Amino acid sequence: MKKTLDLIPLIIFLALILVLFTFLSGREDQLESVLVDKSFPEFSLTSLSDESSFKSKKDISELPALVNVWATWCIACRVEHPFLMKLKENSTIKIYGLNYKDDRIKALDLLERDGNPFEFSIYDFEGRLAIDLGVYGAPETFFIDKEGIVRERHVGVVDEKVWQEKFAQYLDD
Amino acid sequence: MTKSLNIFLLLISLSLHGNDYSQADFDLYPFDTQEKEDLFYSLLNELRCPKCQSSNLAGSNSPISNDLKREVFKLVESGKTAEEVKTYLVQRYGNFIIYNPPIEPQTYVLWFGPFLLFCIAFLGVFLLRRNLSK
Repeated sequence: MKKTLDLIPLIIFLALILVLFTFLSGREDQLESVLVDKSFPEFSLTSLSDESSFKSKKDISELPALVNVWATWCIACRVEHPFLMKLKENSTIKIYGLNYKDDRIKALDLLERDGNPFEFSIYDFEGRLAIDLGVYGAPETFFIDKEGIVRERHVGVVDEKVWQEKFAQYLDD
Repeated sequence: MTKSLNIFLLLISLSLHGNDYSQADFDLYPFDTQEKEDLFYSLLNELRCPKCQSSNLAGSNSPISNDLKREVFKLVESGKTAEEVKTYLVQRYGNFIIYNPPIEPQTYVLWFGPFLLFCIAFLGVFLLRRNLSK
């Protein structure tokens, strides 16, 4: 009896390690996504390429679609860019850009130089729509289904692996 | 002795100056009433910066924090209460954004974990002492 009692602290310690390990590892610093299963928020912001043309939710018309938050100051977005180009070429899904707290000229230059995977980009200098989306960094990618409902959100670079794990399932049906 | 006292005073005055700068930063937000201004400051202390995670909005100067401060300013200025501002942000960023999250299944570990650990520790000490006194 005493021997098993002696083991109790060790067992509790192991359990604690296990609990902390499962809760703290793997999730990196991703916040919960409140927007998932909700309708994409309304907005009215100018288009990146034309500051006199306003875009709103109804302009994201070809659904299902991806909305990708990007900026020229965001290094990870450069890493992600080739994959978005590949999606544009090989997949039926349309990608809409949300240019986040960026310089219009620099952003357009980058698209000119590296290619433009987006149907159009929304220019969100003040991060207004970004707040409604709960964006806290770039890149972030949202999947919107045929009904205009956000089904998936990914914070960080979308690559082949992330695409297969998180997004590809929505295109099958 | 005087030398170390001087250094001490210098450090104190430097830290006070640090506060001056952050106060100057807040003057970007002109309120029409003192109540709204007080509410704004208290909210900045209670809301968490989504990017830096271990800092509140008041203590952060990251671009996202500044956007959120501007948003909170607009909401408070338009007459929203503390609860309404918090709900607005939780709907967008989740419970993470508030330092005082509600008690619900998702936050049980957060709220009751420490008490549970205390009980376990208490029980452990109790069992240990009983065994020793035998």
